[in-house]
Amino acid sequence: MAAINLSVRDAAAKKAASPPILQRVSAQAIARVVTGVAALISFGIIFLMLFFLVAYAYPAIRFNGLGFFISPIWNIGNQYGSGTVTRAGFSAEAGASFGALVFIFGSVVTAVITMIFAVPLSLMVALSLVYRVPRQIRPLANALVELMAGVPSVVYGLWGLVVLVPWIGGALAPWVTAHLGFIPFLGGASGSGNGLAASVFILALMVIPIMVATTRDVILAQSTSLFEASMALGSTSWQAMTWAVVPSVRKGVVASVLLAFGRALGETIAVLMVCGAAINSFPQNFFSPVNTIAAVIVSQLESALTDASGMAQRSLAELACVLFIITLLVNVIARGIMRGADRREGAKA
Amino acid sequence: MRKTLALVLAALLLVFVGGRALAATDLLETGSTLLYPLMNLWVAAYQQAHGDVQITTQGTGSGTGISQAISGVAQIGASDAYMADAQMKNTPMLNIPLAISAQQINYNVPGLNNVHLNLSGPVLAAIYSGQIQYWDDAKIKDINKQYGSKLPHQQIVPIHRADGSGDTFIFTQYLSKSTPSWAGGPGYGTTISWPSVGTAVGATGNPGMVQTCQNTVGSIAYIGVSFLNQTDKAGLGYAALENQAGKFVLPTATTIAAAARALDAKTPGDERISLIFAPGEDSYPIINYEYAIVNPKQGDAAKAAELKKFLDWSLESSGGQSEKFLGAVHFLPLPASIVAKSKAQIEKIQ
Repeated sequence: MAAINLSVRDAAAKKAASPPILQRVSAQAIARVVTGVAALISFGIIFLMLFFLVAYAYPAIRFNGLGFFISPIWNIGNQYGSGTVTRAGFSAEAGASFGALVFIFGSVVTAVITMIFAVPLSLMVALSLVYRVPRQIRPLANALVELMAGVPSVVYGLWGLVVLVPWIGGALAPWVTAHLGFIPFLGGASGSGNGLAASVFILALMVIPIMVATTRDVILAQSTSLFEASMALGSTSWQAMTWAVVPSVRKGVVASVLLAFGRALGETIAVLMVCGAAINSFPQNFFSPVNTIAAVIVSQLESALTDASGMAQRSLAELACVLFIITLLVNVIARGIMRGADRREGAKA
Repeated sequence: MRKTLALVLAALLLVFVGGRALAATDLLETGSTLLYPLMNLWVAAYQQAHGDVQITTQGTGSGTGISQAISGVAQIGASDAYMADAQMKNTPMLNIPLAISAQQINYNVPGLNNVHLNLSGPVLAAIYSGQIQYWDDAKIKDINKQYGSKLPHQQIVPIHRADGSGDTFIFTQYLSKSTPSWAGGPGYGTTISWPSVGTAVGATGNPGMVQTCQNTVGSIAYIGVSFLNQTDKAGLGYAALENQAGKFVLPTATTIAAAARALDAKTPGDERISLIFAPGEDSYPIINYEYAIVNPKQGDAAKAAELKKFLDWSLESSGGQSEKFLGAVHFLPLPASIVAKSKAQIEKIQ
């Protein structure tokens, strides 16, 4: 009887409580499977992309060897000749030399100089958006920043080509080289306006809104108590920002800087339009033509497609691998920096 | 609800069927920005008379023209360069001349843009390899005695094409044929490995060349003759070039025709030949056939038929070869013997 009672009570209890449990369990299981598969897919896609890229570039990797990283000469070879040149079992047209040093150097240099200008500027803009800009016009300022972040890069590129480049070539560069030419890297030929300066300017225009928007959100997420406490202790608002607010949002700032750095490294069309497409030569000053990995892949692709040996296409794929790896390295280093910061903070606490 | 759906479907069907009936066949032409202005004139006129075919034109560079004709994306790949032997071995294509074009050397030198400086292959090769860096260099003064004192001490900015280009092909072929050191060094092609010159700038397309040259004091650029109106409007000067006979000649109808005459008998059946640096006192040294790169096996019979019709029309003296089209872009019509060879090639399209 007791047993029956028990079982009846059990059944009743089950009737009351079990469907939700069952539902919850199955929903959880489904969610776990779905998210797991989604994570695997995104991971798998990146892995497969890299795998096929490397597999496609393999003949070029063998053919070019180390020369790819130390030679500044990019030459798809004599397409209209009759000879071929063979290295490591793979052949290209006679005279071919695929050295990527100019482009690797150009990518890193344009991105780094862009960040040197853009990071302090965006940090200051973000801080003033949160603490300085009057409340009435803040929504307008925020909307403007978001609008700038959303403008397609080709629009910036076109503006750069039509407005910025003639201005740099006709006014800025001649003035700077004449009056500030004693500073290294600012003297010498003023050039056409297409080049490093124009690329950096355009890239900064594109990454500053991104950094401002993300940094602003990080600062807003932080409670204002730090700022207020610091002010209450008698610091100026500048001191409160630099000593109290900025250190507390360091991690978020690093993340936003990296996001922007990645964007600057990979930006293609806008840079291609204003960089001057340097080939076989390094920039001699701030106004010299330059070229980046992303830009050269686009500008050389059509010629590469007509290379009968196919080695030019494969070498462009090798360039793409290099860009991939540089971006990956930047990410890994950044994670390291953030983990280091975490540990130091942990030790302090 | 169901009624609306039916209405929408019916409308879609009508648009689809109607669209099919209006333009039965689509053809895509892409490639050379030098040929692009002419293609636009041709296609606009041709479509007025032939409503049953829809031809789209794109100026993307000869490199793209060749590769998209090979891949089958485009039916006509426009190119200023004929295909190399190695490419032809991989994928046999027809190289069909449509007109005779030329290229001028433009410059932006204050005070001299309204006259024609003399330039030679060796001087241009020295400029593009960085050995001549200023406009008042002795080598430039030597061949420009009448302007000797007017040449400024201004740094030269050599502008070249950043994209794969038939203009690069014919320009570097002129340098190769006139200057042994260039032939043994950078050579020629639709893209080449330019010598390292600190001031050198790459520009995209003929329009990009015009714009960069206009914006840059002291610059020099090679630009297709179909952009002569634009370079004049931009206030750029253009040079008289030294030909094989040692004479300095301007690109005019007479000098371009003289160069073409010198070589039309030598043009082979597949019509792949360089017209650069032609012999003769009056020959302008940088002229070329403008090619339609076409796959002989089109696969689609309707497209092949329309393609042949359009190409045939472009070779008619009352059609594409008439002065009202070619004159507008400073091209010259093909001689009768070349038209016959081109028509024989068009016959091979299936």
